[in-house]
Amino acid sequence: MRKFLGPVVLNLFAWTTILAVAFPLFWMLVTSVKPQSELFRRPPTMLPESWTFEHYWHLLTQTNFLVYFRNSVMLSTVTTLLVVAVATLGAYSLVRFRYRGREGLAFLVLFTYLLPSVVLIIPLYLMLVSLGLSNTLFSLVIAYTTFALPYALWLMRSFMAGVPDDLEYAAMVDGATRMGAFVDVILPQLLPGIISTALFTFILSWNEYLYALVLVNSDEARPLTTGVMNMLISSFNIEWSLLMAASVMMSVPLIIVFAFLQSYLTRGFGAGAVKG
Amino acid sequence: MPAPTQSPLERRYARLGLLLIAPTVLIFCAVIVYPLVSALYLSLFKVFTPTLESSWVGLSNYKALLADGVFWSALVNTLIWTAGTLTLQIVLGIGMALVLHQNIWFRSLARSLILFPYFISTVVAVLVWKWVFNDLYGILNHLLMQAGLINMPIDYLGSMPNAMISVILVGAWKYFPFVVIAVLARLQTIPEPLYEAARIDGAGPIARFFDVTLPQLRDVLVVIIMLRAIWDFKEFDLIWLLTGGGPSSSTETLPIVVYRQAFALNQMGMAAAWAVSMMAILLVFMIVYIRRTREKGAS
Repeated sequence: MRKFLGPVVLNLFAWTTILAVAFPLFWMLVTSVKPQSELFRRPPTMLPESWTFEHYWHLLTQTNFLVYFRNSVMLSTVTTLLVVAVATLGAYSLVRFRYRGREGLAFLVLFTYLLPSVVLIIPLYLMLVSLGLSNTLFSLVIAYTTFALPYALWLMRSFMAGVPDDLEYAAMVDGATRMGAFVDVILPQLLPGIISTALFTFILSWNEYLYALVLVNSDEARPLTTGVMNMLISSFNIEWSLLMAASVMMSVPLIIVFAFLQSYLTRGFGAGAVKG
Repeated sequence: MPAPTQSPLERRYARLGLLLIAPTVLIFCAVIVYPLVSALYLSLFKVFTPTLESSWVGLSNYKALLADGVFWSALVNTLIWTAGTLTLQIVLGIGMALVLHQNIWFRSLARSLILFPYFISTVVAVLVWKWVFNDLYGILNHLLMQAGLINMPIDYLGSMPNAMISVILVGAWKYFPFVVIAVLARLQTIPEPLYEAARIDGAGPIARFFDVTLPQLRDVLVVIIMLRAIWDFKEFDLIWLLTGGGPSSSTETLPIVVYRQAFALNQMGMAAAWAVSMMAILLVFMIVYIRRTREKGAS
């Protein structure tokens, strides 16, 4: 009897806590499909009595949401491509080559990885304004590299350290040049690490708020984070269903990553953040 | 130590290495080193944001800042927030990692659900929690009243100490998955014979946790605590979006003051001085963390 009861109690306890943690996200989904009339009913209904997608329709057709979404996609994609390309070469150099200043550079990478954005944001703002780049997506790409590049380098460095030296030497003994060995032997080995780094960089850029708040002031260049927040602040009476629908839509890329590529996320955790 | 004379091949490789790191170095100089130096420089000026008119004031920004009570109250707020949310993250994180380490039903689904808050945008987290906290129609007040725990709806974000507690709770909810994943990875590497030996010695589950699990987790916990302390200390988005530093600056932490000084009060020079002072405090943590990482890397 005890042998049977133990796991049941454990599972009940475990799943109660897990569902409590996940409840706000469940509530976001439920709220986004409730009709306006049901939203303010007392007591509130846990599952919607009637489902509606009118809030999503409203969001996509009558607000700037799609513009923000497109901006976020472009911004995060460009930042990710740039940062991952630079970081892959940089990490290869930091791990496999010997030259003066290498240690100092590795130190600088770790230092900037921990640096608060609010320190950089004032001079960056002045710099981008004087270059005439404020209010453009490009200014955000520049600003995002300040946190994305150290992060990606730090991750790539530990992935690179996990690729055995022997492979590279074996290829060079067979007559490959150093860069030839890098492209043919190291890159394929590194691919899971590159995917993992790209996902983290993309999510980091997708979720960024402070730089977008300071550097972009027009709807044409606003990404999702500040755009959706503006919908909260500028509306006269807050339309919670609309905001919850926006929150769900904003999390769609993440849900896709979670469904198909989750192992890459946990791999990145182990590599960069904790092992150090 | 490398030999003083290098072969031509070694020299060629060193040059290739420098070429590969060149883009990184260029970008670092342009977007990190230059802004960092100019933040230090800017903090010695008085700058009016809209016109960018500036005049040299030396160290008087720092003098004014240290004499200002706001600095100390913001520092205290930052420390309360950091200590509160960090403690919760660690306790909840270890607890949840232990649960997920067991053989529970639908384990991978459970892991995804736990991981999700960490990866969603802070904007999404804040919107959802604002709706949950809503004083008239929020689900939290409704559930608590139905359970008979409270008689009156609670104002979660507009009064003290509720606002600070709410911010700390939402911070713990958002960031504890980081601790879960890190601890879980370590738990899976603890050798089973250690537990068997403890069991033979007659140790119960609680004794096993304190005598076997916790000592094994020590190293990873030190790293997690330092990293999370740094990240929580500099958190801006979550607090700014939830309370904006209110009610009446009682949740105003240092990063929020920096933002306000620069972009609401339009005092860029003063804001830079705030930012540099904040960084000086953080530097203590950062140096401890960096030294530790390098020692580990060396051994």
